[in-house]
Amino acid sequence: MTTYILRRLLATIPVMAVVALFVFFLLHLTPGDPAAVIAGDDASPAEVDGIRRKLGLDRPIWEQFGLYVWNLLRGDLGTSIFSNLPVMTLVKQRLEPSLVLAVATLTVAVVLAIPMGVLAAWKARSAIDRVVMGFSVLGFAVPVFLVGYLLIYVFAIQLRWLPVQGYQPLANGIGGTLRSITLPALALGMTYMALIARITRASMLEVLSEDYIRTARAKGVATSSVLLRHALKNAAVPIVTVIGIGFALLISGVVITETVFNIPGLGRLTVDAILKRDYPIIQGLIILFAASKVLVNLLIDISYTLFDPRIRQ
Amino acid sequence: MAALDKTPSGAARADNTEPILSVRDLRTQFFTSDGVVRAVDGVSFDLHRSETLCIVGESGCGKSVTALSILGLIPREIGRVVGGSIRFDGMELTKLDEGEMRRIRGNRISMIFQEPMSSLNPVYTVGFQIAETLRIHQGLSNKAAAERAIEMLALVRIADARRRAGEYPHQLSGGMRQRVMIAIALACNPQVLIADEPTTALDVTIQAQILELMVELKERLGTAIVLITHDLGVVAEVAERVIVMYAGRTAEEATVSELLDNPQHPYTRGLIGSIPRRSTPGARKTTRTRLQEIRGIVPSLREEIPGCAFAPRCSIATERCTSQRPPLETHGPRHSAACWETAPSSALTATSPRS
Ligand SMILES: Nc1ncnc2c1ncn2[C@@H]1O[C@H](COP(=O)(O)OP(=O)(O)OP(=O)(O)O)[C@@H](O)[C@H]1O
Ligand code: SF4
Ligand SMILES: [Mg+2]
Repeated sequence: MTTYILRRLLATIPVMAVVALFVFFLLHLTPGDPAAVIAGDDASPAEVDGIRRKLGLDRPIWEQFGLYVWNLLRGDLGTSIFSNLPVMTLVKQRLEPSLVLAVATLTVAVVLAIPMGVLAAWKARSAIDRVVMGFSVLGFAVPVFLVGYLLIYVFAIQLRWLPVQGYQPLANGIGGTLRSITLPALALGMTYMALIARITRASMLEVLSEDYIRTARAKGVATSSVLLRHALKNAAVPIVTVIGIGFALLISGVVITETVFNIPGLGRLTVDAILKRDYPIIQGLIILFAASKVLVNLLIDISYTLFDPRIRQ
Repeated sequence: MAALDKTPSGAARADNTEPILSVRDLRTQFFTSDGVVRAVDGVSFDLHRSETLCIVGESGCGKSVTALSILGLIPREIGRVVGGSIRFDGMELTKLDEGEMRRIRGNRISMIFQEPMSSLNPVYTVGFQIAETLRIHQGLSNKAAAERAIEMLALVRIADARRRAGEYPHQLSGGMRQRVMIAIALACNPQVLIADEPTTALDVTIQAQILELMVELKERLGTAIVLITHDLGVVAEVAERVIVMYAGRTAEEATVSELLDNPQHPYTRGLIGSIPRRSTPGARKTTRTRLQEIRGIVPSLREEIPGCAFAPRCSIATERCTSQRPPLETHGPRHSAACWETAPSSALTATSPRS
């Protein structure tokens, strides 16, 4: 078990190294002088020179890379060109809304989708099954922004149950945070829910036809226990995998959702940085997003061992 | 003696002669996209207390479906028991609801399956899987059930039971897994154990051990066993009574010696054509003979068969055989067969030489 986790942990090092290499050369692969690219078309030669020196672009490339990696390891993601603030500081300012949105989305999706998938598999080919499957096709087909505007129209403008947009930080009380995050989480969670419900159903259907399910029933185990204890745990590995894959979707989804609901999170920071070509911020965010995906994958891999004893060796 | 015996034990003994399980004209059908499959089409048999009854018959003749029907385990979406009766200890099982059936399954009637490799849940320890039955049916605490599970593992002669209880099915051999299945099935001391080809998937040497274990535990616990098998050698060794199934119906039912010495139904005769006779009991013990291949093919269960299902393959079939279904008729004490031509009432043919 420990060796399994250790192996997984070691395997993340080369992945992160490749990401760092890619992010570093991102700037150098764009055609032309990186400093000029960052400065933009209207910049004077003096401004371009300033940027070049500030980013250390006048030094040899291997020295630049070495410094970059060294700074990364110390948690220094560079300095924003426009605001002159450390990227890490900017990220920390924007982290809370995005993290809350991601966690809320994940929770809503998992809590709703897994029972839906289990129910659909148990009552396969029934009306319930068709409703769940129809919903999951819809969840895939309708874009996040459309669902978002629809939810805003119904629940915020017509019914006035929830705020139209914006974000209430946790510091002002969790009630406000939850109210401000409900609609965005639902909008973003829709695709995600569709995905998880679908895979839960498929995985459960496969497991329910296994011999050991028949054994459980022959033992006199109650239906709920057959479904949740005997089947769901066996069906868990693909479900958890898809939750992990979904996390990748979540990051791009967060950008759109934050725009629709006007939430000052990392998504907005990303959009602003791209529009202003604030490369250090863009680079820093890519590194962070990649690291969070690697981390989630690691957690998923480790969680497999909780579900399946055969993976523990 | 019976006239003088007015004690309660006499009444109890009279009770004991009642079969514990009595199946009458059981019919189970599957509703598939291309028609109705009559998997079981009129099976009848009695199982007495502490008795071993074997069910034999070719692949696809409805043995497993019969077993699953008794336990109410035919998946409702695809099939149903459409007729007949299953009486168990005074209860009509076909009339019980799911909750009542659940209290019987694994508790008073248990079942073990052919596939030891896939019949245990891979993500729970074997100790847990035995203990679960005890918790459900006997209301034991987790701790008490776990202790009892270890005792059950020892009972089915798994060495080092305490350690094994903490292991997962993939850490156990096929033979050991089937022992675990037996432990699960017998944990609540059921009155009936249905074993659906419990040794078919195992090595020959392991087969003998598992069978021996079942017989021994049966004697010790007084469980009645329905043993489904392809293996006439197994039948000769362990059965007290045998029913021969053909195309979802009972073809013949008799004590094992009657059936082997004096088979009535042409299908039975075909099946045991090569089995050594009773005169050499030693030979029977060592010969393991699979059912004989009989010329022709098993009829499709998708169409209704008005007459005898065996008629297309039967060498002595007559006109009547293809149009009228032969009833199960008595040939002697505890011996009956469903055949027009060998029935005692069929005066002309009853004495016809055996094929
Ligand atoms: N789920 C199902 N759907 C449709 N038909 C089925 C289903 N299960 C069984 N059958 C049919 O019922 C018939 C009896 O099957 P059953 O499994 O009882 O045979 P069996 O006597 O146990 O054979 P074997 O010796 O191979 O185990 C077969 O013809 C089979 O095709
Ligand atoms: S009833 Fe007729 S067809 Fe059927 S077994 Fe007897 S003789 Fe053969
Ligand atoms: Mg079978």
